[in-house]
Amino acid sequence: MSGDHSDATIARRVRRLETLLEEKGLLTGGELDEAIDSFLAGASPANGARVVARAWTDAAFRSRLLADGTAAVRELGSMEGSYQRLRVVENTATTHNVIVCTLCSCYPLRLLGPSPSWYKSEAYRSRVVREPRAVLAEFGLELPPGTRITVWDSSAETRYMVLPRRPDGTEGMSEEELAGLVTRNALIGTAVL
Amino acid sequence: MARINDVGGVEGFGPVDTADDSEPFHADWEARVFGLMNALRAQGIFNLNEFRDAIESMPPGEYLAASYYERWFAAIRTLLERKGVIEPGELDD
Amino acid sequence: MTDRFAPGSRVVTYLHDPPHHTRLPRYARGKRGVVVEPEGRAELADVSARGRADAPVEQVYAVRFEARDLWGEGDHQVVLDLWESYLEEYEEGAADER
Repeated sequence: MSGDHSDATIARRVRRLETLLEEKGLLTGGELDEAIDSFLAGASPANGARVVARAWTDAAFRSRLLADGTAAVRELGSMEGSYQRLRVVENTATTHNVIVCTLCSCYPLRLLGPSPSWYKSEAYRSRVVREPRAVLAEFGLELPPGTRITVWDSSAETRYMVLPRRPDGTEGMSEEELAGLVTRNALIGTAVL
Repeated sequence: MARINDVGGVEGFGPVDTADDSEPFHADWEARVFGLMNALRAQGIFNLNEFRDAIESMPPGEYLAASYYERWFAAIRTLLERKGVIEPGELDD
Repeated sequence: MTDRFAPGSRVVTYLHDPPHHTRLPRYARGKRGVVVEPEGRAELADVSARGRADAPVEQVYAVRFEARDLWGEGDHQVVLDLWESYLEEYEEGAADER
């Protein structure tokens, strides 16, 4: 949204602020790079896909995941301490879940990777709580008229992830192959598989 | 009164641009702003709710005109100025 | 500390329009819903947003709203995560204006 001019201006101001904070001893040289690197390294939709594939293939894990997402996800390692609480909501033949944060942009970063721009947009945030069917149709998702939609507006500390339905004809697939089918939008609820 | 960030059910923002864009940062300065926010929070200069409050308190026109990380940077400035860490205008040219 | 609301409790959100940060969106103010479950205790964002270290810690509840109660139409549901002090018990037959 910014043109080159304002981009250069803000880039200069950010650099100036970094320098000021370093001079005041509030920031050390490598600190920002570290924060950025750990963010980029730890956050990926592959994490969420792995959780989903496990839930599809292990009924006991699925039960634990739906009962206490925080603890179940921890079993798979590498996702410690990311959220105060994770709640996984399951799509069924008659129900569909979709996630939003109308007030800002809360999102289960670790499991889903950096959020897409549309998730942070006013268009998505304003409309999905009011007319979810119309919004999902814009993503190419037409749900049967009888499907009950629940919109989860993340207004506090809990982060939500959708457990999509396992596609038909995937009975013989390995957990790894199944994980490869899971898309980021399916974990948000703006797509099905 | 309701703030500009509180957009649930507000009309007029148009269709969702569903382009599958998951580049975390579109410029290097956005990554730096992301890092700054996290570093300042970790040091207890401000907490996450203060940060959100500062974003929401932007004048509505500025909020809507700003990109995601422009909002973050505006909020960081506001909080650092309010807390006396930097002087008002100190970052300007 | 015991939770004020159990799953299934009928609640109504406050209609207050606070002059500060809050996590109750305006579309859900003064609306009736049903508690889904407690989500764990957290510092009240409204107070923490003022940089205060003494923010009360309250239970947060997932609360389910019917679209028709929020918007007057629609067949979907919306679930919000709301701090205990955003909620009051709702009694059948009580005046709708609060």
